[in-house]
Amino acid sequence: MDQQLLAKTFVELADNLVADFDLIDFLRLLTDRCVSMLDASAAGVLLADRDGELRVMAASDEQVRLLELFQLQNDEGPCLECFRTGVPVIIHDLTREVDRWPRFVTVAHRIGFGAVQALPMRLRDETVGALNLFRAAPGPFDPAATLIAQALADVATISLLQQRTAQRSTVLNEQLQTALNSRVLIEQAKGKLAERQDIDMEQAFTALRGYARAHNRRLADVARALIDSSEPLTGLGS
Amino acid sequence: MSKAAVSHPLCSTDDISEQLEELQLTLGEGPCVDAFVRGSAVLTPDLLATELQDHWAVFADTALEAGARAVFSLPLQKGAISPGVLDLYANIPTVLDTEELADALAFADLATLLLLDTRIDETGAPTGGPTPDRGFEDLGAYRAEIDQASGMLTDQLGVGIEEAFVRLRAYAYAQGRRLADVAADVVARRLRFSPDAEPDQAEEET
Repeated sequence: MDQQLLAKTFVELADNLVADFDLIDFLRLLTDRCVSMLDASAAGVLLADRDGELRVMAASDEQVRLLELFQLQNDEGPCLECFRTGVPVIIHDLTREVDRWPRFVTVAHRIGFGAVQALPMRLRDETVGALNLFRAAPGPFDPAATLIAQALADVATISLLQQRTAQRSTVLNEQLQTALNSRVLIEQAKGKLAERQDIDMEQAFTALRGYARAHNRRLADVARALIDSSEPLTGLGS
Repeated sequence: MSKAAVSHPLCSTDDISEQLEELQLTLGEGPCVDAFVRGSAVLTPDLLATELQDHWAVFADTALEAGARAVFSLPLQKGAISPGVLDLYANIPTVLDTEELADALAFADLATLLLLDTRIDETGAPTGGPTPDRGFEDLGAYRAEIDQASGMLTDQLGVGIEEAFVRLRAYAYAQGRRLADVAADVVARRLRFSPDAEPDQAEEET
């Protein structure tokens, strides 16, 4: 493992946790770093909504097939199990789990994943979601990498709370709801941009994120401005 | 409160809640206004708290006079769609526990869909098809495609996000199809909406 990148990642994540940070972009950074540091092919942060359904907050890749694999785990899969039990679920070889999760294993295999880890996101004794890591090749995970992944899952959880300002009384439930709504907003903006520029959802997300970064804006604010057509967003076609 | 008239009260259950709405409309301040602007819930367990007195100087005093002691404002929203705010009050200091807040949030979600559903008829969807409980199947599984498709329709139809979502739902009802399936067709570009056609006559390509 690249110790320097690891140290840099934690510094960068901490730096990002300032008052007005962008939750979705932050979580995306976290999933990207999971992929580059932790021997993962793809990563996703899933948060449970009020009904206990897992919803993707960020993924290292916004391709539809990957997002579907995350969502599929509302029926079966390591993420669902991790969320329900609150303990890590680590599968070295997915082909051995075909009886346990027939649909999940089939789809994961089709996309090209051989191993998976799901790590709980816990807050005040409550599991609020899970960090999901996929790897193409089957085989054991480095225990040190799993520890770091759990640390990153904890950082992701903290970020959900950090987003709120201290000036008013809020409760966990409501904070998660607000976080989920910002993801809905991003999806709406992705759709509008994808249609307008005739591009796919991943490209639309990349364009939105690129614009937000280039202009030092929060992704959610850019998404809202795009949907409301409330300001010219040069390069995003409005 | 609804967006169209900044804070036009749609419905109040009693005199006190009606006064609270009128008050915020008149003053342009209060929890409901804040909830709408911030897009997140504003929970005020006790209006006598000092910092609140500073924050909503006039509202806090007048609301107390009207008989309210705790006020909870929950935004009705789905991404950029925000048709209004749900205001609840209590006449004694009240901290909502986890379960009560979950109930309130669930109620706000339901109110959002019902409020948007009232606009389906305005878009010209057939009234025969939809059943009275039409909104509730959608409360189940979340599908990102529904939000993506709504975003796509804003461009295809040249309308705002709220109307795009309403038109998508109206089409699904009219066709007797699941909203998630219709949305998936839109995202996969198998189904397009055209501004000239009625929602139920959208041109379909296979």
